[in-house]
Amino acid sequence: MSILLRSSEINKLPVVTFAGEDIAQIKDVMYAAHGGRVGGFTLNGRGLFAGPLKTALAWETVVGLGPDAVIIQDESSLTPTESLLAAMQSSGQPPGDILGSQVLTDDGAALGVVIDVVIEVAGDGSSQADVVGYEIDPAEGWGRGTNPMLIPLPDTLSASGEHLMVPAAAREFVTDDLAGFGAAVDDFRAHLRLRGRG
Amino acid sequence: MPWWVWLIIVVIIIVAVIGGVLAVQARRRTGGVIISDRNKGTR
Repeated sequence: MSILLRSSEINKLPVVTFAGEDIAQIKDVMYAAHGGRVGGFTLNGRGLFAGPLKTALAWETVVGLGPDAVIIQDESSLTPTESLLAAMQSSGQPPGDILGSQVLTDDGAALGVVIDVVIEVAGDGSSQADVVGYEIDPAEGWGRGTNPMLIPLPDTLSASGEHLMVPAAAREFVTDDLAGFGAAVDDFRAHLRLRGRG
Repeated sequence: MPWWVWLIIVVIIIVAVIGGVLAVQARRRTGGVIISDRNKGTR
């Protein structure tokens, strides 16, 4: 059993220890460009006047992630933000925020601009979390109206910089409903596997 | 200038400073989705 969460739902979630201490708030979700695996989170301090913390949360130290909180063992689970970012970067280029990036198909059509990211949290909320889709503001040329659409991603996604590439077939599996999005992702990935075999 | 003009000026300055601080703080705390380039494996 897995759950789908938007990154905007994860941002601002409290980070709570087993002792019940509320020690931070999620700021950014960090994920790998290849494969979409969530690697960790940057953190804000608690309270309106607290800024970003110099410590971050690596995914390996997350005990549970649900719709209401992120659970960790204790404060020793936090690591310096710079070392987590360095562990996830191989090129030395600063990591980029993908919100606002343009989504292009591999046949060169613009689908829209990313406004949110859909994350699948597997099993008990601690084993694995992957980026499985983008929520986009559709491009005018696509003719899908102005309502946000959810677009599934392949399980071997590739993304970088300002443009995010998706297979052209992703257009056939878009939905506007998060409840049915898990099935759309599975169908899309099955379609890609079948096409790869054929 | 009468005292109440100074009072209005001081109140406007205080409101502007508080508003500015809150706006900067909200911007600092805004979250996002950071993409990294290290291959963490595929499923």
